Amino acid sequence: MKKKEISEKKFLGVSARGGLLLVVVAIITLEATGLIQYYFSQRGIKQEASLRAQSELRSAENEIMGIVDQAEGAVRNSIWIAEWCLVNPDSLVRVPQRVVDNNPVVVGSTIAMTPGYNKKYPLYSPYATRDTETGKILTLSLATDEYDYPSQEWFTKPLELQDGYWSEPYYDEGGGNMLMTTFSMPVKDNNGEVAAILTADISLEWLTELMGSIKVYPNAFSTVVSRSGQIMVCPNESLVMNKSVDQFAAESDDSGVLKSINEAMLSGQEGEMSIRYHGERFRVYFAPVERTGWSLSIVVPEKDMFAGVRKVGGVVIILQLLGVVMIVIILRVTFRNQMKYKMLNTQKERMEKELEIAKGIQMSMIPKIFPPYPDRGDIDICASIVPAKEVGGDLFDFFILDEKLYFCIGDVSGKGVPASLVMAVTRSLFRTLAVHEKSPGRIVTAMNESMSDMNESTMFVTFFCGVLDTKSGHLRYCNAGHNAPVLLNTTKSLLKVASNVPLGIVAGAVFQEQETDLQYDDAIFLYTDGITEAENSKHELFGEERMLNALSNLKGSRAHIEEMQKAISGFVGNAPQSDDITMFIIHYLNEATPDASERHLLIHNDIQQIPQLADFVETIAAEKHLDHSLTLNLNLALEEAVTNVIMYAYPEGTDGLVDIEAIIRKDSLSFVISDSGKAFDPTAQPDADVSLSAENRQVGGLGIYLVRNIMDSVSYERKNGKNILTMTKNI
Amino acid sequence: MEININTQGNETVATLIGRLDTLEAQKMTGQFDKLAEKAGGTVILDCPQLEYISSSGLRLFLTLRKAATTKGGKVIVRGLSSDVRNVFMITGFLNLFEIQ
Repeated sequence: MKKKEISEKKFLGVSARGGLLLVVVAIITLEATGLIQYYFSQRGIKQEASLRAQSELRSAENEIMGIVDQAEGAVRNSIWIAEWCLVNPDSLVRVPQRVVDNNPVVVGSTIAMTPGYNKKYPLYSPYATRDTETGKILTLSLATDEYDYPSQEWFTKPLELQDGYWSEPYYDEGGGNMLMTTFSMPVKDNNGEVAAILTADISLEWLTELMGSIKVYPNAFSTVVSRSGQIMVCPNESLVMNKSVDQFAAESDDSGVLKSINEAMLSGQEGEMSIRYHGERFRVYFAPVERTGWSLSIVVPEKDMFAGVRKVGGVVIILQLLGVVMIVIILRVTFRNQMKYKMLNTQKERMEKELEIAKGIQMSMIPKIFPPYPDRGDIDICASIVPAKEVGGDLFDFFILDEKLYFCIGDVSGKGVPASLVMAVTRSLFRTLAVHEKSPGRIVTAMNESMSDMNESTMFVTFFCGVLDTKSGHLRYCNAGHNAPVLLNTTKSLLKVASNVPLGIVAGAVFQEQETDLQYDDAIFLYTDGITEAENSKHELFGEERMLNALSNLKGSRAHIEEMQKAISGFVGNAPQSDDITMFIIHYLNEATPDASERHLLIHNDIQQIPQLADFVETIAAEKHLDHSLTLNLNLALEEAVTNVIMYAYPEGTDGLVDIEAIIRKDSLSFVISDSGKAFDPTAQPDADVSLSAENRQVGGLGIYLVRNIMDSVSYERKNGKNILTMTKNI
Repeated sequence: MEININTQGNETVATLIGRLDTLEAQKMTGQFDKLAEKAGGTVILDCPQLEYISSSGLRLFLTLRKAATTKGGKVIVRGLSSDVRNVFMITGFLNLFEIQ
């Protein structure tokens, strides 16, 4: 037991370790897939963000270029007019007016004369602008002492380049304090000398708006940086036109990267980079705007970018955790079941071992040594029991007591342990009761009472019980629902059996006892339905006919059994045996002529059974050739004696048996009447006084008086709890 | 067992047919009670076909006989077979009845 506990614990340990390993592997697998998925989705998101940012940048650039083109176009398209007007400088004022008037994007325009080119106006710069309220074109002059236009960038750069030039953005102090930029272009005279610079101012208010409208992610923002690194558009307005990116980078905690971005942007490159700013990671996408030298950028916090994937990641992690929990639960349940199964298996093994032992015990109850009586020449017995796989319910038994062979065969309904227990009970009841009861009818009745009383499991036993007088060959038997045995005499036939119910079905059942005589060399073959119902693979039954055929006229009981076994196994072939197969043969070999024969009758303590006595006596009388008067007298004596027992032996209302044995000798006939009732000696009763007159005669007492008068001797004894009345008539 | 009862005036004839064993005697008690009612007159028990009688049957006869004594009638037993007559003889019943 201890050993078993240890091994169960060990098993549990091994299982738990296996389970743990499984859980760990499952977690690793799940986490790995999660991480891979996270990595790939991040990559995908990065790519997608990049594509989005670039397309936004491109469309912003396109829009900017549209406006830039308009402003540039406004200037370029007016150059020839300006050149043409150079002849008449007073008409030059009309050129910027025309530029403003014809181009809504242009907020202001001037044509600034190269100083000294015109003698009449050494400094000349009429400036046309649109009145914000009325929309009318106003014309001012930029040729003032404070302004000094020839030193302004918009004037110097085109002059230097001899080509169109976009100025650095600047705050227009004269106008609406707007961020502005100016496109300026030289106007040449017929000699190819730069006579003037024509300009168009555009407000950059729309640029702030345009860049503000780019919202690739909720917290993303856009910037525009000029070619000199000046911040033109930025969500933090304090930086606009106030600081260069260089300055801003110097203050930042990730200045290196910011600087390299700045350099890339200033050199007009397109690209993307990651930076850390105040501990947060950002992705910067940038692209240049041609001609103006500006650089656009979109800055996206990575937190924003990966918010979706993080959210999905969270859900995935929760799902994975749930999965792991599920695995743990499933493993637990599985292991529990496995434990249970294992335990059941152990129990099953134990049970099988116990069944094996039970089978051994059961088989030890059944006689095994044949021939059982090697010294006896008058009885030859052989038997065999082939149990089906499990313990079964077949039994047979026999013993000799006072020169009488008591024997039985039985088959318990059902199989397995319950059947084997009932079988054991049946066999021990037979042993116990047979010693006392002598008559098979009484044995069977008593067994039925015991078994019906205790039988709550509704199991029953078909049972055949016989008592063979080894001296006379007289066989008394009682069959309780069992297969009729075969009587092997000259004719080989089934023994006539009454249709009694099997044992254990109903208490108080009446079992009819029967009798016959065996002659020298007669045999009786007993069997269970395992023989007649043995099946071959085609599900055909062995049957009664095959059984009878197999019982050839061989000499010796062992030969019969072996022949029958051969016949059955030849018929069944490989089909599995489904029921116990039991056979039992008794060969009677007593040659001596008996000096007496017997007849028996077993009745219940009920006067309804009285008429059976007349039949019984008549059978004997016919055998003995007795005359009619004697027969009637014997009948009368027997009836009186039996009536006495019926009336007085058993308490009223209780069932009891009366056993009547007739012993027929050459010159006498005896009746032995026995019962298990209370002690009662009829011979001790006073005789009726037959000489009295009718008035004084008593109604009772006549019976025993008649018995005494008819029979030659009457004696009573009390033995083994039985009343035994023996009365003999000399013939 | 069978009993046929035929009453004419003061005289009742009961014909007994068959075996009067213990079981039959119990069954015939009612018939004998009827006969006892007629026992103020003459009751003739006609017995040629009575094959057998046991002490229980004899008891019925005796009871009827006692009733007749009480009521002042008489019981005549007629035509007993030799076997039944033998039983009557053994038991002294021949002396108790008028036998014909």
